[in-house]
Amino acid sequence: MANIKLRNITKTFGKIKALDQVNLEIKDKEFFVLFGPAGAGKTTILKTIAGIEFPDDGHVIFNDDIVNLVEPAKRNVSMVFENYALYPHLNVFDNIASPMRSPLYKKDEEYINKQIVKVTSTMKIDHLLERLPSQLSNGQRQRVALGRSLVRDPNVFLMDEPLAHLDAKLRHHMRTELKAMQTQLDTTTIYVTHDYMEALSLGDRIAIINEGKIEQIGTGDEVYYTPKNLFVAKLVGEPEINTFKGELAEVNQKVKMKVLNQIHLFDLELDVEQELKKHHSQHVIVGIRGLNVSYSFVKKDDTQIEGSVYSFEPIGNKTILIVKIGDELIRTIAPNDLQVDIDQKIFIEFDFKNAMFFDMDTEELLVRHNQEEIIKEVL
Amino acid sequence: MVACSKSCIWELGGDNMTKKRLKIVGEVLRNVLLLIYATFALFPLIWMIIITFKSDAEMYNTLFIFKPTLINYQEVLINSQDYVKAFIDNIIVSGGAVIISVIVGVPAAYALARFNFKGKEDLAFTILSFKFAPEILVILPLFMIYQKLGLYDTYFGLIWVYQLISLPLLIWVLRGYFEDISVEVEQAAQLDGYTWYQVFWKILLPLIKPGLVASGLLAFIFAWNSFTFPLLLSGFNIQTVTVASLRYIASDTVHYGQMAVAATVAALPEVILALLIQKHLVRGLSFGAVKG
Repeated sequence: MANIKLRNITKTFGKIKALDQVNLEIKDKEFFVLFGPAGAGKTTILKTIAGIEFPDDGHVIFNDDIVNLVEPAKRNVSMVFENYALYPHLNVFDNIASPMRSPLYKKDEEYINKQIVKVTSTMKIDHLLERLPSQLSNGQRQRVALGRSLVRDPNVFLMDEPLAHLDAKLRHHMRTELKAMQTQLDTTTIYVTHDYMEALSLGDRIAIINEGKIEQIGTGDEVYYTPKNLFVAKLVGEPEINTFKGELAEVNQKVKMKVLNQIHLFDLELDVEQELKKHHSQHVIVGIRGLNVSYSFVKKDDTQIEGSVYSFEPIGNKTILIVKIGDELIRTIAPNDLQVDIDQKIFIEFDFKNAMFFDMDTEELLVRHNQEEIIKEVL
Repeated sequence: MVACSKSCIWELGGDNMTKKRLKIVGEVLRNVLLLIYATFALFPLIWMIIITFKSDAEMYNTLFIFKPTLINYQEVLINSQDYVKAFIDNIIVSGGAVIISVIVGVPAAYALARFNFKGKEDLAFTILSFKFAPEILVILPLFMIYQKLGLYDTYFGLIWVYQLISLPLLIWVLRGYFEDISVEVEQAAQLDGYTWYQVFWKILLPLIKPGLVASGLLAFIFAWNSFTFPLLLSGFNIQTVTVASLRYIASDTVHYGQMAVAATVAALPEVILALLIQKHLVRGLSFGAVKG
């Protein structure tokens, strides 16, 4: 149980800057998710907290104590490694028992037995106790690694993609288990993932990391509804958010939006209008999620934009319909039973109430409709 | 091909038969070849053992039928203490060389596998290069140095020079083993609450054991069989079995029987060691430790 702070952590590997002035504050008992693309520096942050990587600069702070010089063993952190890091010569039981048999965190054998029975039955690996890691599948190894970490009572759990190698059903089960366990264990957890579903469903707060820098820290809804910049907006959500250029035009003292070479000028909400009026440039980037794009096969009015069906990809319970308008591809969501032909004529309509507007140069979020209310509502 | 009415029919009908016959011929041929190879490989050893039981008188005029005698054994092992002493000396220098190599080589291999430091590859190559030059080439300067330093004809001197034989082997084999163990395994053990030394004993050592045993055994065999170094860098106080075996070539005659006894006894420790640790020579434990 600890709150953890990172102050200006910088880390370079040779010429590559893995972490660049990272500042984080993780509250006690929080489930904190580090989310970002591969190579963003998520694992390096975890290892820095664990003490197995040393920052070039900056401080790691546990409960107001700087622990930079504390050995990894004495930090009392429990980590799940992405590549499992099981002990190849020990069987599953001994692997999981290892932290409870170490001189620092020694427990009696009765306690160890009890803990192992408990954790392996939750992980559904209780039939594999006698096996060596080489005799397990990747998913089973991952659960052993997770089990080895969960038997402890550490300051903080560090989990590096602990569910990445499980099949979909098991992953869902484990996700629920982890969430339940976290409330039960009441321990700080830092969780690394590149799956936005995991990030949104598990995290109390999410830090989005790109190229060693933190792009945004916020709750799931904050990063989903008010992404700080285009990168965050594109990373969170499936299908990826639609982005295209928009041009502001003033008609009768009202600011309107011209997009995708359409003649029709689209109306904007009042708060958006006011905010965009202050903007120094006429050009912005518009971001609209596929969820907020509707389609029809007959034209009702001018707010609908004509395009053609580019592709149709079923992804299980829904289908991603990609519509080509000029040179832009717009992604929208359709039910599975929709019958369309490629290149068929289609009309789409943007829901500008839910659009986000980004600066053309900095790619930072300028405004979205009802920005404050949305965040308050979900909080 | 066209005019083959009769023989074609015969061939078609006998197809299965021919196949069977070919198979039998193949089997026989294979076994014959294997037998020839086995004779080629084993006969010198068998011959050596046979002549240990021959007296000098029967040495040149009998093949397999002779009057077996233990006189050679008695001569080498009991009547003269020289060979027994050489045997013990050999155990001391070869064993000592391997022990020193393990103590030095395991940490060296670990460092070469895990840490990045300047000139790492050059250092590794330098160690390997100890094995490049034939012993006979470097023996003259070594002889002079040993004379000057007072290492000539000492246990320590031989153990030291044997490092040229055993250390590169151990370091290069073990380096590979250490590289195969993912760093995360070590880190995981540290986070579990073990100090580095405990990690080393509990995790690393069991994982490199097959390599350690195999390379240690090989190093021992090479050191045990070494001839040039002990011949020229020792010989009065200390003798190894390889050098001691020479004494059976006397000025008047060669005592082949006694020499064969010396060679047979000299081979025993290697054979026994190899048999004892055979089960440790299995590799493959480290597979599956990390993501496949």
